[in-house]
Amino acid sequence: MTHEKADIAISAKDVNKIFNPKTEEEVVALQDINIDIQAGEFISLIGPSGCGKSTLMRLVANLIQPSSGDLKVNGKSPEQARLDRDYGMVFQAATLYEWRTVKKNVQLPLEVMGYSKSERDSRAQQMLELVELGQFGNHYPWQLSGGMQQRVSIARALAFEPSILLMDEPFGALDEFTRERMNLELLDIWQRTNVTIIFVTHSIAEAVFLSSRIVVMSPRPGRITEVVDNALPYPRNFETRERPEYYQMVTEVRELLRDAHEV
Amino acid sequence: MTDIPITAVATSRSSSTLQQFQKPIIVVLSLVAIGLVYVGVLSTFQNATTEDEILVESTVGQLAIWMAEQTENDPEEILSPLAQYADAWANDLGEDELDSAILLDVMRNGVVIWSGLTIALLLMGLVVLFVMPTQSRFVFLGALLILDSFLFIVPTLEGYSTVTLILFAILATLGLLLISPGKTTRVLGFFVALSVLMVAWEASKSFADSIGYKITVPQASWEYETYPTLDDALIALEDGETDYVIADRKDLDDLMLAYPPEDDAEAVPLENLRYLDDLDRAEGLGFLPIQPEFPGRLTVAVRADTAGQVIAVRELIGSNVSTVAGEFADDRLLQQPRSLVLLDLKILNDLNLPHLQMIAEAFLQPARRNGEFLLVRILADAGLYTFSEAIVGFLFGALLGFGLGALFAHSSLMERGLLPYVVASQTVPILAIAPMVVIWLGASPLSVAVIAMYLTFFPVTINTLRGLQSPQTQQIELMQSYAASTWTIMWKLRFPAALPYIFTALKVSATASVVGAIIGELPSGIGDGLGRAILDFSSDYSLTSTPKLWASIVMAATVGILFFVAVSLTERFILRGYIRNID
Repeated sequence: MTHEKADIAISAKDVNKIFNPKTEEEVVALQDINIDIQAGEFISLIGPSGCGKSTLMRLVANLIQPSSGDLKVNGKSPEQARLDRDYGMVFQAATLYEWRTVKKNVQLPLEVMGYSKSERDSRAQQMLELVELGQFGNHYPWQLSGGMQQRVSIARALAFEPSILLMDEPFGALDEFTRERMNLELLDIWQRTNVTIIFVTHSIAEAVFLSSRIVVMSPRPGRITEVVDNALPYPRNFETRERPEYYQMVTEVRELLRDAHEV
Repeated sequence: MTDIPITAVATSRSSSTLQQFQKPIIVVLSLVAIGLVYVGVLSTFQNATTEDEILVESTVGQLAIWMAEQTENDPEEILSPLAQYADAWANDLGEDELDSAILLDVMRNGVVIWSGLTIALLLMGLVVLFVMPTQSRFVFLGALLILDSFLFIVPTLEGYSTVTLILFAILATLGLLLISPGKTTRVLGFFVALSVLMVAWEASKSFADSIGYKITVPQASWEYETYPTLDDALIALEDGETDYVIADRKDLDDLMLAYPPEDDAEAVPLENLRYLDDLDRAEGLGFLPIQPEFPGRLTVAVRADTAGQVIAVRELIGSNVSTVAGEFADDRLLQQPRSLVLLDLKILNDLNLPHLQMIAEAFLQPARRNGEFLLVRILADAGLYTFSEAIVGFLFGALLGFGLGALFAHSSLMERGLLPYVVASQTVPILAIAPMVVIWLGASPLSVAVIAMYLTFFPVTINTLRGLQSPQTQQIELMQSYAASTWTIMWKLRFPAALPYIFTALKVSATASVVGAIIGELPSGIGDGLGRAILDFSSDYSLTSTPKLWASIVMAATVGILFFVAVSLTERFILRGYIRNID
């Protein structure tokens, strides 16, 4: 694959992350991570617990620092990218601030970044309509269901139009039915906003349904064992899940995961 | 989108459905309550003349008499609004002074109407029960409140069973409230508990009255002989006419040696007599005391040869005992009936625990003899003064506490270094700190505010620290992902997250600041506040000042509760969006 340098959203070269180095509790969380992620891609990181997929995401987010190696976000250091507000983040828990209304929660990053009041209002409303919660702006988070809360947190992450969306098991706490509907909505948002999405998940079905490429990881030490191109055509919908290619893809990823575990 | 927002979180917990058996019980109970109120209050007061004790001695009766008396004063001297009202009334009638009978008459009619209202409410509760069952509780609660108020109006007098009947009426109404359907609100719970307390208060006093405070068993009495002088008594002892002489130890000390003997004994006139220096004075049967006890300065003179045989006072009973006419032993100890006290209900007499009506009456009596102002006015002024000191201390304490908490949350070095001192400061009793503050800052309301602050800043410090540290890692990382500054994280995340913790502390501090202000008033000698009132009424321990002391306690509690409620309401308003704030 040949891409222009500017089109590469994230590039990792020989990135290592070791927690508590040179002590008895030393853990090699990530070993020799090499990957290039192009702008506009939907990348899923999949693997069993402890394979370092969340650690990789937190490295990209500059919440922790790599022990060695070269990591670039939008061609910049992760710290610079964070300061430039290049990415938005969605956690497994919705992490809404309980004392703020839904609208005020979506406005939170805009307040921090110093947007004007009128722009905050219009953008928040726009984002809430994007996640189909337009009429819930004045509700408090505890008045919403879990799925609705997570949609608010996606709206919040997109409010300042970051070029990258980092999602750490965002639908992990939702029931199967809600999760499938959220997947469809996320794809819809992705296609409308052209944002690059890095999506951490435990679910093979979710990874296959959503992503353009799937990064399969294995634990102890955490490393990338395989990067799979997902040829399923977009737009994807409920019928996609019933197609034979979908099943083949799911099987392939499952086998890769099993192999990775046995290595 | 088929999601439905979960807006109805708080559903009524206890709106029970009406059971079959409940209605007849409610009907019977309310009829019983109505009967008790009618017989106990309505008919009693309706038939009371203006000289009847139950009316004159009642709280409103005493108020009427005071108001009438005030009109005898020079019009210039009448300062109290109530007295002015009575004076204006007298002028309307074309008189200089108001006859107390007129006022008493009005008061009696007031009580009759008030009790009529109770009966009306109870009847209304019955009607509501059949029309809108879930609303009947509110009506019965209204009846309960009026019934409670009678405990503050009607005096406990011999020959009148009014108070007892009111107590039973309250019990019946409590039963009504418990079994009638409807919501259990906070107000309902509060007044049910209050009514139970007041019934327990008055019932325990009735119990104490009925057993006459003491159950005693008579004991063998002293048989003794009185001699005109100490010399006569001692001669009789030497001659063997008597075996023991009870006399003042100081007199005996000059005349004879002590037993057991002292090392540096000087020569004394009476060599063959001894006084007992090491006598077991305790009397009693097991753990039960006999009163009066053998008083401290009395002792016993004996012949030297028998000195070793007596070791306890109780052995003297039945022997040949003598004393001296006019001696303390003769006057007090030996003449007193000896009785074994089985039960002494010391805490239930009128001196310790006055009737509720006596406390209410104390509020509506002059603070001092022939004083212009009623105690309620004096105490309200004192309460307001103390409150103003408390609120200043509270505000400064809250600011200091918040500042320290924020400092500790910001710097772990500060937390490790200073927090132990903050904790240690609270282990020093406020009573020891208060005089020190007065020495430093002088005897002024400022000192009192500082003392109040000393009690208030601690909970705020601890809870601010805890609150500022309460946000979860992800909530902080979210802020970091926005490249938010420490300051922004403080104001957009840590501070709002800490608010529920801070308000919890402020509620504790509000009541503590009132305590601090009252304690602070004592060493600073400030006479305008509740501290002085409490000190005044507790130093004069009598039947008239005990109810006033209770009245001061009630006022102090009221100030604290009102402050607490004010802070709670502020909390409800400010934290209205917080999930912790919904019931």
